Formats: sequence, C-alpha cells, structure tokens
Amino acid sequence: MPHLVTLLTHTGLYAGFELRRLWQTRSGLMTLAATLVIWGLLFRYAIVPAADLIASRGFTDFISGLFGNNGISQLRSWPAPELAVYWFFSLWLLPLLSLFFTANQLCPDIERGTVRFLTLRSSRSSLVLGRFAGQLVVQGCLILLTLLATLTLASWRAGGITPAMVSAALVILLNLLLVVAPFTAIMAVFSALVRSAKLAVSLAIVSLGLGFALLSWFVFYFPDFLFLFSYIPGAQVIQLLPLHGWQTFKFATLPLWQTALLLSLACLLVKRKAL
Amino acid sequence: MSTLIHCDNLSKRFGSKTALANVSFSLQQGDVTALIGPNGAGKTTLFSILCGYLRADSGSVTLLGHKPGSTALCGQLAALPQDAQFDPAFSVGEQLDFYGRLQGLSHKAAKQETDRVLALVELSAQRKQKAAALSHGMRKRAAIAQAFIGSPQLVLLDEPTAGLDPAHALQIRQLISQLSSHLTGKVSFMISSHNIFELEQLCNKVLYLQHGQLSSPADNNGSDSAEQFLTLLLEQEADQPLLALLQQLPELISVRPGQKNQLVLSYNSNKQPQFDLELLQCLAAHGYRYRNLIKGQTLEQKLFSVS
Repeated sequence: MPHLVTLLTHTGLYAGFELRRLWQTRSGLMTLAATLVIWGLLFRYAIVPAADLIASRGFTDFISGLFGNNGISQLRSWPAPELAVYWFFSLWLLPLLSLFFTANQLCPDIERGTVRFLTLRSSRSSLVLGRFAGQLVVQGCLILLTLLATLTLASWRAGGITPAMVSAALVILLNLLLVVAPFTAIMAVFSALVRSAKLAVSLAIVSLGLGFALLSWFVFYFPDFLFLFSYIPGAQVIQLLPLHGWQTFKFATLPLWQTALLLSLACLLVKRKAL
Repeated sequence: MSTLIHCDNLSKRFGSKTALANVSFSLQQGDVTALIGPNGAGKTTLFSILCGYLRADSGSVTLLGHKPGSTALCGQLAALPQDAQFDPAFSVGEQLDFYGRLQGLSHKAAKQETDRVLALVELSAQRKQKAAALSHGMRKRAAIAQAFIGSPQLVLLDEPTAGLDPAHALQIRQLISQLSSHLTGKVSFMISSHNIFELEQLCNKVLYLQHGQLSSPADNNGSDSAEQFLTLLLEQEADQPLLALLQQLPELISVRPGQKNQLVLSYNSNKQPQFDLELLQCLAAHGYRYRNLIKGQTLEQKLFSVS
C-alpha cells in the first residue's frame, strides 16, 4: 500500500511538471501556438459557419455516405451545430495530433541522461505513468480551451448558453480524452524505444500503417478475423461519429483497456532499458 | 558498522567485451571509497549497476539492504551520474525543487533544500538560470548539488571534480570531507576519479578496477603488518653516499627511488618504532635537507607497485 501511494504521488508530481512545461516553457508555448493555428483555421472555415456547413449538400452527402441518414439526424441532435462540427473534426484530428504532440514523453530525457537524476528518486513506472498522465492533462487543457471557444461561439449565435450545451461539451471533452489516451500511450511506448521525438513519430506512423496493412492482408485471406479491426487504436472513432450525448460512452472500455495494455508495455520497456 | 554496499561476483558484458568480471566487495557505513582504474576499466559500468541504470548479467548487489533501483533507496542513495544533463527547458532551481518533491519534501521544504544545496556549490545566484545558460563547470556543480538534496546515507560520485577549476574542485573536496566526517551526518561516499591525489586526501578505502576486475582492494589507512613505509622528499637528488648511509639504518628493509628527489623506505616497525626519528637524525647529522616526510606510501605508489 505505501508503494501504491508513492507511485500515485510521484505520478501526480510528474504530471504537474508536464503541465508547467506547457505553460512555462518555450516548447510548451510552441505547442500551444501550433494548436491555436490549427484550431484557428478550423474555427474560421468550419465551426463559425457550422450551421451552414451541416445544412450544406456536400457535408450531408458525405455523412450520409458514411453512416446513412441516421448519421445526419444524430449529428443534428447535438444542442448546437458548432458542437456537432467540433465533435466531427476533433474525432478525426486529435488522434493524429496526439501522435505528434506526445512524442517526446521519454526519449529526450533518456537521451540527455536527465532520467538518471529522476530514477534515483522515483520508480521507472511512476516516470512512465506520470509523463503519460501529464500529456493527457496537457491535451485536456488544449481540448478545453478550444471547446470553450466553441461554446462561446455557440452561445453568441444562440443568444445564450444552455445546460444542454454545457453537458454536451463535457461529453465531448471526456470522449476526446478517451480517444487520445491510447494514442498517447502508443507514443509512451515508441518514445521509450528511440532517441528522439521525430524518430518516435516516424516509428509510430510506420508501425501503425504497416500493422494496418498486414491486418488488412490477413483479413483478406481469413475474413473470419474481420473483428480484429475493432481492436486497433482509434477503431471506435468511426462508431462514435454518428452518436451524440452520453450514449457515446458505450465504446469507452475499448480505449481504456488499450491504454492500460500499452502503458504496461511502456513500463516494461523502460524497466528493462539501460539508462 | 552496517554494510552499505555488498557486491558478490558481479559480472557484466557488452557484446564480446567484458566490462566487469566477478567483482566482489563490501562497503561499510562511514567509508569513503575510491574507485580507481584506467579508462574502460569498468568504473562507470559499476556505478551504473549500483545506481540501477544497468542490470548485471550475473552476481548479486545490494545497497542498504535493497536491490539497485528499488524505490526503498529513494532519498537514501544519491549519485552524480556521468554525463547526465538537466532538462534545458527549466531553470536549475525549478528542477532541484522538483527533485526534492520527488524525495518526499513539501513544496516549501524543497525550495529551502534547493537554496541550501545551491549555496553548498556556490550557485545560489544561478537558481533561476536554465542549465543551458550555465558553463560546463557550473552545470557540474549543479549536478553535484542535486546529489546532496535531503539526507542521503550513501553518495556515489562519478568524476566529481573533472572539468572544475582548481578553486571549485577544492571546494567540492572540502564538502565531501565535511559531510563524511564523524562530526556531521557521516555520509558514506564512493568516488570515481582519475585524480589519485584527490582520492588520497578523501578516501579511506580503495577499489582498483582493471579490465573489469577488482585487482587491489587496499585499505588507505595503512596495513597492520610490521612492514611500514616512509616517503621522503629531498631537496636534492639522492646520491650514492646518502643511499649507503640509509642502508645502515637499523631495521631498514629496503630503499627505492620514487619520483624526482623522492625515496620510499620500508622498515620493520615492530623492531624499530622510532625509525622516522632515526632517519631525520641521520639526515641532519650528514647535512642532507628534506622537503617532507610522509608516513606510508602514496596511493599512486601503492597502486602502481601492486598493478
């Protein structure tokens, strides 16, 4: 029990330090700036004209093509079109951004030797879990910021904020954290394996791409194993898109166990690694 | 006295190269131990295994009764690892505060501890500077400072004064002497260095690593055997008449030249405990002047006569 308390305390300290990295360091502020640019473009071209976009022929055809008419009606069920469009784009975009923004979880410290100072004071597991938790909190902050901007836009257009909008925003925040969690855990694994964030991103893209290609090839010859696609990270995104409200949480278990599995792997790799 | 480090048949290989081969030793509380050896002898590998950065291929090692890397050692074991750098994104003070927090100190206590250890290495003014903005010597001192956070029982220092200017190297030596003295907290140290004279001043025990093997674990306090040594530094080169005079001293076992103007004499201390006085009287009687007389051999003489 004391070990668990120490593990959780150290994990919390590492997470807090990562949060300071976002707000108090140049690299953190660069991340913030990159997020603002990406979301600025989305706001300008998708979220501000959300009501028009959802009503547009091209968008409805695209959604109908993917999910049928049910998808359109579900998307229109969000309490504000801005939130619906935010939901749609963030589900696609955030897993990819997560790969880039969380690639430096461990590798710079391992390469620089800073991890030698850290592991004299905490377990390697708490380092991995703390960095992961920190990255998740950082992404939570970024999501919260953009979500608040979206809510502001929606309330400005609708003439006020409703409890339904706040509830929907909370659902989106929690869901997006669940979506990015396994991708952040993937980067914990890859950043433990290589020497730089760039290499970690490259390795992640190649591995995920190659894994998907191999699985496709396997399923082509053994169609009975089609269900394996539903276990790859992010597999629930396509199922989440046509949903809204609290029903979206019915797919929460998949990313949770994927994250747990990947973090266990990251802990194992770091424990066995020569520092 | 309790055992702080116990290594038993420790071995480590990197591919075909043997870094450590069946290394066994024990360190007791209060020991200040020198780890000496040529480049590539396995010193850093041994340090890395003790700190838990590397796993040994075989053998066993315990520090304060725990395996290396155990969370029970957090705060008890401190180290200056070779080539470890601070995070360039944060100031030195912020990072030391964070290390203090990891060691279980409160926010306020961690800040006070940072102030204390930075003052120990004369870096108080650099608290808010980022590591990248510091000189090599300052970064080294900041890295030494992190090893003194809290109250460690055992401190492992890998080349602590390499790259420091003479004044700061002296300051670090004084710091180690002060912390390891019986009057203070009696911190035990293990120090790896190529500076034999520095180790001679600081350490009471020597581990000599060569080709991954511990070849001469000698006690720097001097041996208990009857044969004792004197190192004599003369003002002029020893000539044949002087050597002939010294040969006549009672209970002299041998006399051999050391470095420039230096002679190393061995004698039977049981039969002639006043040998040093006899020697000085002999020199004075025949007009030979000397610069200093040291009881025992220098660490350098011990190591390189053994190896």
